[in-house]
Amino acid sequence: MTAPAELRLPVSAPPRERLRHAEHVMGTVVSIDIPAAAARVLPEVLRWLHWVDATFSPYRDDSDVSRFGRGELSLAQCAPEFAEVLIECAIIRDQSDGYFTTMPGGRFDPSGLVKGWAIERAAAILNAAGFAGHCVNGGGDIQCSGEPQAGRPWRVGVTDPLRPGELAAVVSGRDFAVATSGTAERGAHIFNPHTGRAATGLAGITVVGPRLTAADAYATAAMAMGDAAREWAEHLDGYEAFATTTDGDTWQTSRFRARLS
Amino acid sequence: MRSVVLALGGTVAGLTLLLSFKSHSAAPPGDPVAAAGMPATQGSPRPQGSPRPSAPAARSRATAGSSAAAATRTVTGDVDSTAYGPMQVQLTITGQKITKATVVQRTDSGEKSDQIDSFAIPRLIGETLAAQSGRIDAVSGATYTSSGYITSLQSALDKAAA
Repeated sequence: MTAPAELRLPVSAPPRERLRHAEHVMGTVVSIDIPAAAARVLPEVLRWLHWVDATFSPYRDDSDVSRFGRGELSLAQCAPEFAEVLIECAIIRDQSDGYFTTMPGGRFDPSGLVKGWAIERAAAILNAAGFAGHCVNGGGDIQCSGEPQAGRPWRVGVTDPLRPGELAAVVSGRDFAVATSGTAERGAHIFNPHTGRAATGLAGITVVGPRLTAADAYATAAMAMGDAAREWAEHLDGYEAFATTTDGDTWQTSRFRARLS
Repeated sequence: MRSVVLALGGTVAGLTLLLSFKSHSAAPPGDPVAAAGMPATQGSPRPQGSPRPSAPAARSRATAGSSAAAATRTVTGDVDSTAYGPMQVQLTITGQKITKATVVQRTDSGEKSDQIDSFAIPRLIGETLAAQSGRIDAVSGATYTSSGYITSLQSALDKAAA
């Protein structure tokens, strides 16, 4: 004898183990891949990203970056994180012989580093809450932590800058960052600060290493260098690079192969 | 000679595209069992969505490429008349692997067409890439704008996981 239909309980779906969230912020979309249990930390992560947008956007007249650039705020009057970003920028500027600059268009704009730094800090919020298995992708710049499943590393596809929709490489690992700079999405928007002209030579470059703050800024600097980036990237400590030239050739640093999936 | 079958079927949540790639002699185009198959790649994940026996199927023809065994070829599906307008899928095949999937003729303009373009096409491309290169968790590339995200591979991955 079967129970009356109205007494049957619905069969519940198994609980989802992973959660994906896509947030429009900082002029792009940040995709967040976290354990489902980390949902309670998500609001804090999103608040952080929007705070960074409001504080560091050069497109907002009332941001600290805009007001500092106009001389309306001293460094001490800016948010404490502002000095932290300036120090990171200064380090990369020195490491890149000035190819990374906070004055890319003649006015103060640390955007070449801020997004990577913001994503790295967002990942740190998740780590601090005890959720190591996450991947945060800020418009193509990625910080991965732990594993998506026990025993499986993260796998990150690198788009081919000259062939939309195709992947040029797949890198994998645990606790690593991947940043790509290139002309595929927004054209030749990176300038060589030493000539004042649009950077030439590279269609795209991907930098892989432990921290996204450095990887993002290194990728920006390497695009500005163009052909000279190959020799420079070979000597970066702990960071590897893969590049596609405007002619369609590719090159990689000697230890990049170890990052390939 | 290989054949491409594009099956379109509506679902409650939206539109799911299913792409099948099979030997021409295995089954006639439109066969629901064949349409559920995937490229002959070991361990490939199957695309989401279910085939419909009534789904329209398109016979395909090779339009470019050389006769070399491992050469890169381009296969273009026939224009498929769907409820959302005419559609055509083009695959780039290197040896036995699909290396690229694009929609070479999009739907007519209109509300439903926008829906299919922004939802189904990146999803189709993303699933095809995922099937060919193994599971991909995220995609790194030049920073996309908020609107550029819609057609990005990352968007396809996010939709597939949602």
